[in-house]
Amino acid sequence: MPRYGMVIDLERCMGCRACMEACKVENNTPEGAFWMHVFRFEEGEYPDTKVGFLPRPCQHCENAPCVKVCPVQARYMQDDGVVLTDFKRCIGCRYCIVACPYGVNHFNWTPPEDAYYLDWDDPDVEKVTRGAVPPYDNPDLDEPHGDRGTLVAGGGHYDGTTEKCTFCVQRLEKGLLPACVANCPVDVFSFGDLDDPESAPSQALRSKRAFRLKEELNTEPKVFYTGQPPPGEEIRPIDIVSSTGGQ
Amino acid sequence: MLVAQGLYSFARQQIDGHQLAGLDDTAPWGLYIAGFVFFVGASAGSTVIGLTVHGFGRKDYEPLATRAILIGLLSLAAAVTFIAVDVGRIERMLLLPWYWRSTTSMFFYTSITYYLFAAILLAELYYTVRLTRGSTEPRDRWMAKWLAIMAVPFALVVLHAPHGALFAVVKAREFWANPLLPPHFAVVALVSGMALVIPVAIVTSWLKKRELVGMHTLAHMGALLALLIAVTGVLDFFDWLVFAYSDKAAGVAAWDILFGSHLVLSVIHVGGYMAALATLLFVLRFRREWLVPGLVVASAITLLAVAGYRYNLVTVGQAVSLLPVIPVSEYWPSGTEISIAVGIVALTALSYSILTRVLPLEEDAPPRREEPAVSTVRLAPAGEST
Repeated sequence: MPRYGMVIDLERCMGCRACMEACKVENNTPEGAFWMHVFRFEEGEYPDTKVGFLPRPCQHCENAPCVKVCPVQARYMQDDGVVLTDFKRCIGCRYCIVACPYGVNHFNWTPPEDAYYLDWDDPDVEKVTRGAVPPYDNPDLDEPHGDRGTLVAGGGHYDGTTEKCTFCVQRLEKGLLPACVANCPVDVFSFGDLDDPESAPSQALRSKRAFRLKEELNTEPKVFYTGQPPPGEEIRPIDIVSSTGGQ
Repeated sequence: MLVAQGLYSFARQQIDGHQLAGLDDTAPWGLYIAGFVFFVGASAGSTVIGLTVHGFGRKDYEPLATRAILIGLLSLAAAVTFIAVDVGRIERMLLLPWYWRSTTSMFFYTSITYYLFAAILLAELYYTVRLTRGSTEPRDRWMAKWLAIMAVPFALVVLHAPHGALFAVVKAREFWANPLLPPHFAVVALVSGMALVIPVAIVTSWLKKRELVGMHTLAHMGALLALLIAVTGVLDFFDWLVFAYSDKAAGVAAWDILFGSHLVLSVIHVGGYMAALATLLFVLRFRREWLVPGLVVASAITLLAVAGYRYNLVTVGQAVSLLPVIPVSEYWPSGTEISIAVGIVALTALSYSILTRVLPLEEDAPPRREEPAVSTVRLAPAGEST
């Protein structure tokens, strides 16, 4: 059984956010939901400033706090190390959100059908698209996936539940890479089996010094960063994305 | 009216989603969770009356026994209602105890304790009502006594301290990850429970135009409240002292929030305890004739201070950025949240009012032959009625 992990080369990242876009299209996430987020920040004092980027998917921690605190075991870790949410079991208590040190979770504050970017059934939208652009709605998401064989891939993004990056579990089962990895134009991401010394992430980890976010908390993330030191406390975020979903 | 507007706001929240609350992904818990923790504490704290009657033999507290159990039950119901309006899927929440393998979740654990605590309180209410109706069976007295005594350690250790752990186990939040929090919660529970029962005793006496408990008993309750406030004040002091030495950026940021945007709430919390303690000591030591208004004022200030503490605890913990790159939004409750919270409090008060009319209470019961009241602490001047 593989143990999936990811290495993110910050030296390569140029902040284009193609990974965020690919994630949105693949997982059909509503407005305000960013399972993958590339934070842009500024550091240093004028005139010696520079802009940095930090792509942040779910860290799929080996010792995941969100799994520990979930009162109904809706949040769980598969044998392959991927941390998933059973959307038909989640009660929406948001304990996973407060317990996660990386802020990766999104709660569907708005009924998702009200928060999609376009209502594809709206006649006015159809007038514009003339039926040429089909509604993007990945049918794979509505199928059972994962060890439990339940709805864990996002589907219709259920009202009143919490969701997050799944490492594109529906793609992994087909032998494909997660959407963010597959669509990065500059190969920032290395994804694969951390236990396989020949896998892309294992090789990436051997080639450069790596760090994990908030290692002192002993959450043991399976997402590693290389190429740059971790962003310090003195950095200044330079953009804010609404997280309430369409409001 | 207040209940109806709360129900309307709740219905709107169910239809339009939790976007109507002032919450977001950086501050997912707010007024509902603060209300939930406050009422669980009040529920746990109200059990101290039963212990005083049955454990310490203070028969002068007996007229409050049924009312204290009712306050405990209704506060527990209010707490569960607060959590119910907070979660995204109420219908699934009710099945929570069935997920018995979630042993690492403090939320799962605390949810189980509601059922057990409600069962203890209902059983205690049943036997207390039987006694009030004139039962002379030793079994009823024995059950009422031991349920009342058992309720206190259960409420403090099994029920409420784990609510402190609910926050303390969250290592991601510097403001919460504090091992002192569970015992601190237990003491604050006693403070809020006593601060709720005192005005109930006084207001009921005033409404019924007859003394529910004597001045000596009221003075004893005031002294107990003062002692509990002093203990929680000491815990608060050391809590903040240790926190002030935090060398982590998150700790410094939380400290800045406490004395920045949340300064008013911090003053309500700390200043409230100090004002309540000063009021209690003043009326107990120097102005016994002002005892009744003094107790009402001190209790009200204490409840406000506890509410300030609970609110600050929940919100400041989340107001600090998890990572330097993640901006946080400042949380303040929305109109919908306030409306629902007011509705829950009004529903609790309404339920109390109805139940105290339906249930037989000690003051309406026929006089029983009782052993003389045993007083362990003498606070009233000699010759004053007990």
